[in-house]
Amino acid sequence: MLFNSLAFFVFLALTLLLFAAAPAGARWIVLLLASAVFYGAQQPIHLAYLGGVTLAVLACVRMLARTERLAARRALLAVGLAAVLGSLFAFKFHDFLAGEIERLWAGDAGWTLPRLGLAAPAGYSFYAFSAASLLIDAYVRRVPVGVPAGQIALYLAYFPKILAGPIERATHFLPQMAQNLRLQPESVVLGLQLMLWGLFKKVVIADNLAPIVDKSFGIVAFAAPIELLTSVYFFAFQIYCDFSGYTDIAIGVSLLFGVSLMENFRRPYLSRSTAEFWGERWHISLGRWFRDYLYVPLGGSRHGAVRLYLNLMLVFLVSGLWHAGLGYGVGWTFLVWGALNGAYQWAGVATRPLWQRLGERLPGVAASLPWTLLRVLLTFHLIALTWVFFRARSLGDAWLVLTRIGVQWAELPGLIVHYPFSADHALGAVLILVLLAVEIVDEKRSIFSRLAAAPAALRWAVWYGVLAALLLLGRWQAREFIYMQF
Amino acid sequence: MRSLLRPALWFTLIGLVLYGALFAASEALVLRHGRSNPFFKIARTPEPAVDWIVLGASHAMPLDFGDFNAGLQRASGQRIVQLAGPGTGPLYNRLALEQFLHEHRARHLLYVVDAFAFQSRTWNEDRIGDVKLLRRTPCDAELTGRLARYVRDEGVDVRALLDYATGFSKINNRERFERDVWEGEAQFDRVAPRSSSAIAKRIAYLYPSPPEPEALAVNMARFASLLALARQHGMRTHVIQMPLPPAFRKQLPDATAFDAALARVIEAEGASHADFSATIDDPRLYFDTDHLNRAGLGTFVERSLMPILMQGAR
Repeated sequence: MLFNSLAFFVFLALTLLLFAAAPAGARWIVLLLASAVFYGAQQPIHLAYLGGVTLAVLACVRMLARTERLAARRALLAVGLAAVLGSLFAFKFHDFLAGEIERLWAGDAGWTLPRLGLAAPAGYSFYAFSAASLLIDAYVRRVPVGVPAGQIALYLAYFPKILAGPIERATHFLPQMAQNLRLQPESVVLGLQLMLWGLFKKVVIADNLAPIVDKSFGIVAFAAPIELLTSVYFFAFQIYCDFSGYTDIAIGVSLLFGVSLMENFRRPYLSRSTAEFWGERWHISLGRWFRDYLYVPLGGSRHGAVRLYLNLMLVFLVSGLWHAGLGYGVGWTFLVWGALNGAYQWAGVATRPLWQRLGERLPGVAASLPWTLLRVLLTFHLIALTWVFFRARSLGDAWLVLTRIGVQWAELPGLIVHYPFSADHALGAVLILVLLAVEIVDEKRSIFSRLAAAPAALRWAVWYGVLAALLLLGRWQAREFIYMQF
Repeated sequence: MRSLLRPALWFTLIGLVLYGALFAASEALVLRHGRSNPFFKIARTPEPAVDWIVLGASHAMPLDFGDFNAGLQRASGQRIVQLAGPGTGPLYNRLALEQFLHEHRARHLLYVVDAFAFQSRTWNEDRIGDVKLLRRTPCDAELTGRLARYVRDEGVDVRALLDYATGFSKINNRERFERDVWEGEAQFDRVAPRSSSAIAKRIAYLYPSPPEPEALAVNMARFASLLALARQHGMRTHVIQMPLPPAFRKQLPDATAFDAALARVIEAEGASHADFSATIDDPRLYFDTDHLNRAGLGTFVERSLMPILMQGAR
C-alpha cells in the first residue's frame, strides 16, 4: 500500500476513525492492528515473516530485561541479532552473493550454490535496523521496563515508518505510547501540511524527474553527454524528493495520531561539507544509527588517526552494503558509492585543520556568502558524483556516464545552449528551483512556522497552490518509493 | 479538535469550488482537443440516426485516420461513425454501443475483431479504467450510471468510476493541450520496416502472459451480448477480421481455437462474418507490424469493405 495510492488514503481515514473512537488507553492497539493490515495488505506471507522475527526479538528483549548474568545477556543479544541480521541476509543478500561467488569462482567447474528464492519483504532493512537497535538498547538497559509486548511490536511495525523509515529509536517511541495518544489540533494541522508537502515532493517533483533520468540511465551508451549530465543533476533531486517526500508523509501521518517521529532530512543540498551532509542533514536517522551502533562501538575517533580513518570507511562500506543487492539492479555499485563517500570523509578529516586555519586568518572570507555558496556547490557536486554509482545499473555504466560527460566537459556550455530540451526538462528545472527556493527560506526559519504566523488568506493560498500542483502536475500512477526497495 | 472544524469546513468548501473550476476547465479542454475517443465522437454526433457504426480495437482505427472516413462516406454515400478505440475489447465496445444507443440509432454495425482483445482483462475491465481513455472521455451523467453498473456487474475497478465521476484524469492530464490523436495516425503514410523481433514484441504486448484461459469465454459472452443488443435495436451486424501480414498471422497464439469460438457466437447471433485476415500479404501495405497504411487500407476498402458497405446501402 503506497502512500500515494487511493487505497492508502481510504485506509488512513478508516484508521483515524477507529483511533478516535477507541478508548485512549487502547489506541495503540488500533495502531498495531492497522500496522498489521498495512503490511500484510500486499503480501500476507510477508506479515508472517515479520511476525516470526518480531516474536523472536520480543522474546530476547523480555529475557534481557530479566537476566542479570553478563554471559547470558551477551548470548541473548547474539541470538536476537542473529535472528534479525540472519533474516536480513537471507532475504536480501544470500541469492545475490551466491550468484557472485559462482560468477567469480565456479568458472568452468560448473558447480552451483543453492538459492533461497525469497522475495525480500518491503522495507525489511528498515525493520531490521529498528529491531537491531531495540535489542542493543535492551542489552544496555535503555529500553523502559514493563512496556507491554504489543507496544514493542508496534514500535517495530508502526505503519507510517515501517517501509522506509525514519529509523525510529525505542527510547523515543515507547515513552509516547505510555502517554494517552490523542488527536491534537496542532499536530493534525502540521501533520496534514507535512503530508501535502511530502506528496508534492514525491508525486510532483520526484516522479516528474524520474522519466528523464530513467531514459538516460536505461541505455547509457545511447544517451548524449548533455542528457547524462542533466540526468545526474535531476537524479540528485529525484532521490532527495522521493525519499524525503516519503519521510515527510510518514512523519505527517504519524502526527495525525499524536506520535512524533524523528527528523530525517534537513535541507541536505544546502550542506557546506560532505560531513555535514551525512552527519546532520541526509537520512539523519540512519546516520545516527551507524554512529551509535557501529562507529562509536568500533572506537570512533578515540583510538588514533588510523582507527578513525578505518572506522569512517567501515561505516560507509557497511552503508553501501546495506544498499547493495537491491534497488537499481544487483551489483557492486553501492559498495563503490559507500567507498567514495568514505573517501570524502577521509579528505574532510585530513583537511579540517587547513579549513580551520583559513577561517581564523580570513574570518570575513570564511563567513561570506560567496564562500558559503562555493562550498555548498562543491558539496552538492561531490554528492551528485556519488549518486551516479547509486543510480547506474553497473560499474561499467557508471564509468561510462562519467567518462562521456568528462570527455565533452569543455563543450558542454555550448551544447546546453543548442540542445533541444523538452517541456519536461523545463518543468523539472522549474520544480527544482521552487524546491530550492522553499528550502532556502526554510533554512532560516521553518516554512511551517512562517505559514502559521502568516494571514489565513496567504496560508490557504499556499496550500491551495500545492493542492493544485498535485492535481495538475502530479504523476499519480503509483510509482514506488525508491527506498522501499531497501 | 472542535476548534478545527469550522476552518476545516471552510477550507474544504473553497477547495471544492476551486476543484469545480478545474473540472470545468479540464472538460472544456477535452471538448476542444477531442478527436479519437469513442465517447467524444458519440457526444459530437449530431444526427439521431446514422447508417453505420464501427466498433473494434486498433485495427479498425485506420478507417478514421485523417480524412479517410470522410472519403469513405463520400464514396459510399452513407453516414459512418467510427467508435473503435485502441486496445479495446468487447466489454469496452459494448459500453460504447450502449452509450451510442442512448440517444442515437444506426442501421448497421461493423465489428472489426481483434483476437487479442478477447483474451485478457487488460483490454476489457482494466481498459475501461485506463486513464489514457478516461481522460479523453467527456463528462456525461448517463455514462456515469452505466460505469457504475459495469463496476457492479462486470468487475470493472471502482477507481475507474471514481476517476470518471471526479474528472481526476482530465484535470491531471499531462497532454491536456494536445489533440487526442492515437499515435498510429502519425504513421499512417509510412511503410513499416520488416522486423521479426518487432512482431515478437508486439505479440508479447498484446497477448497476456501467462494466458488467461477463462478470459476468452467471458469476453465471447460479452461479445454475444453486444451482438444481441445491436439486434434488439434493429441493427444488422457484420463482423470482419482485418488483413494481417503473414509473418504476424503465423505468430498469433491459438488462432484456430479463437476462430472456432468466434464463428459459434456469430452464427448464434445471426450476424454476417467475413475473414479478410489473409487477403493482403504485401508487407509494404502496413505502417507497422500489423496495421494497414493508407495504401493498404485503400486496397482493402476497394476490394473488401466497399461491397459490404454498399450491401448495407441497398
